[in-house]
Amino acid sequence: MTVHDDPHPESDDQDQDQGLFSLDESVSSRAYVAEIWKRRDFALSLPIEELQSSHKDTLFGNIWHLGNPLLTAGVYYLVFGKLLQVSRGVDNFVVWLMIGVFTYQLTSGTIRGGASSVASRQGLMQSFRFPRAIVPISNMIGELLAFAFQLLVIVLCAFATGVGPSRRWFLLPVILLIHTAFNLGGSFIAARLNDGFRDIQQLIPFVLRLAMYASGVMFPLDRIIGRNDLVDWLVRLNPIASLINFYRWMILGTELNVATSALAVVESLLILWFGFRFFKVAEYRYGQP
Amino acid sequence: MTELSVRVTDLHIEFEVFSDRRAGLRQRLATQEGSGRRLIKAVNGVSFETRRGEAIGVIGSNGSGKSTLLSALAGLIKPTSGEILVSCEPKLLGVGAVLLNGATGIRNIRLGCLALGMSSEELDDRVAEIVEFTGLGEAIDRPLKTYSAGMRARLHFAISTAVQPEILLVDEALSVGDKEFRKKSRAKIESLLANAGTLFLVSHSTKQIERLCTRGLWLENGKLLADGPIADVIAQYGDDEYGADD
Repeated sequence: MTVHDDPHPESDDQDQDQGLFSLDESVSSRAYVAEIWKRRDFALSLPIEELQSSHKDTLFGNIWHLGNPLLTAGVYYLVFGKLLQVSRGVDNFVVWLMIGVFTYQLTSGTIRGGASSVASRQGLMQSFRFPRAIVPISNMIGELLAFAFQLLVIVLCAFATGVGPSRRWFLLPVILLIHTAFNLGGSFIAARLNDGFRDIQQLIPFVLRLAMYASGVMFPLDRIIGRNDLVDWLVRLNPIASLINFYRWMILGTELNVATSALAVVESLLILWFGFRFFKVAEYRYGQP
Repeated sequence: MTELSVRVTDLHIEFEVFSDRRAGLRQRLATQEGSGRRLIKAVNGVSFETRRGEAIGVIGSNGSGKSTLLSALAGLIKPTSGEILVSCEPKLLGVGAVLLNGATGIRNIRLGCLALGMSSEELDDRVAEIVEFTGLGEAIDRPLKTYSAGMRARLHFAISTAVQPEILLVDEALSVGDKEFRKKSRAKIESLLANAGTLFLVSHSTKQIERLCTRGLWLENGKLLADGPIADVIAQYGDDEYGADD
C-alpha cells in the first residue's frame, strides 16, 4: 500500500512532472507499518463496535463478557474441584486449569479468527483501501478485549482460593506482549494460507486441538514427557506451553524453566516477524472476488 | 492546459472464476483444465487520460467492466497488466460498500471515516456536519440493518465525500435516494468539480450522466468503444444495439 501523501519518488521523469503515482506498488515494511499506525483508531474501533454489539440481543447485554468466563470457572469448580476432585498432582488445580484454558483460548481464538477474518471482511476490503494487516490485527485486539475479562475472572478465583498478589504480577504487560506477538504472527500466517486455500480453515481446528494437548492446557506436561524422544522435543520447542507457563508462574508461582522460556520469547518474535512478511507479500489478494 | 489527474495505460484485468460444473478431484489434480476455473477478462486493454475538473461518465451494458475499472482506479483491484497513475488516492463510492449491519448509522459513519484514513480528532470535529448532510434525522441512531436502500446510499455518500477526495469514483450510488438528497449530492459533486477535482460516474441512467458529466467513456466487454464529449458518446451508445433500452 502506498503512502499516498507523497507521490512515488521512483516513477519516471514525465510522471513526476505531472505529479502522478501508482497505487499498486508494494511498499517497504516500515511504510506499511506507518500506514497501519495512521489507522490505529480504525483498527481499535472495529473490534470495540463488534464487542459492544455482540450481546445486544440478550437481556443482560454486556454483562455476558464477564458472565461467560465466570460460568466457565463455575463449571470447572463443580466438575474438577467438587465432583471428580482431581488435582493431577497440581496445587489449586481449578485455577491452574483456568489459566491454561483461557490463555490457550486467546491463542486459538486469535489464530482461528485471523484466518476467517480475511474472508469475512471481504466487503469492507472491497469498499475501502487500507493496509489489510488491519483485519487480523483488529481481530487480535477483539480477542485481547475478551481475554481481559477472563483474566479478571482468573484473578478473582485466585483471590478466592487464597492466592495473594505478588510482585511477579507487574510482569503481566511483558508476558501479554510476548503472547500477543506469537498470536498475531500465527494469525498472519493462518490468514494468508486460508486466503490461498480455503481448505485450510477445515484443518485449523484439528491443528489447534493437537497443539492444545502438547501445550499442557489440561494436564501437566511431565505426564507425557519421557516416553518418546520426538514428543519430548516437540513439547520443549512448543512456545505455547511456555507462554501458558508464564501466566501460571506469575499467578500461582509454579516453576519456570529459563531455557525453554527464553526459547519461547525468541520463537514468538520470529513468528511475528515471519508472519508479518508472509502476510504482506499477498497484500493485494485479500478481499478479491 | 490543466493538470492530469488519472492516466490509464493499456489496462488489463483478469479474474479466475469457478464455473458451475466442477470436475472431480482426481481430474482436477491431474490437469489444470479440469479445475472448473475460467479466466474472465473484465477489462481488456483500456487506455485514457483525465484532467482536473473533468466529470467522466462511464457507460456500458451490465458486465461490461465498468465497476471493475472503478475498483481498479480506487486501488482495490490489482491490474493484471498495464498501469494506472493517479494524482491523489481516489475514493470509491459504491452501493455495495459493506459496513457493520448491527451498529448504528452514526457508528458506521465513524468507522467508515476512520477506514478512509481520517484521524479521530478530525472526525470528532466533523461528525456533526456529516450526520447533518445525510439528513437521516433520528434514524442515525438506529442499527444499519433497519435502513432502506435509499438511507444506506445517503450514509455511503456522506462517508465517501467527507474526506473531500480529489478524485471521486461513484458507482451507481446516486440513483437511490429521494429528490432532495439527489439535489444535495449533486451540489456536493459540483463543488468537488469546482475545486479542480475529477469525477467518475458509473450509471445506467444516461440521463443522469448527461446532466453531471462532460465526457463519456463507453465500455463493452472490457474494451473502450468510445471516448469523447458526453453527448456524442451517449448518441453512439444509443444507436448501438447494446444500449437500446436505456
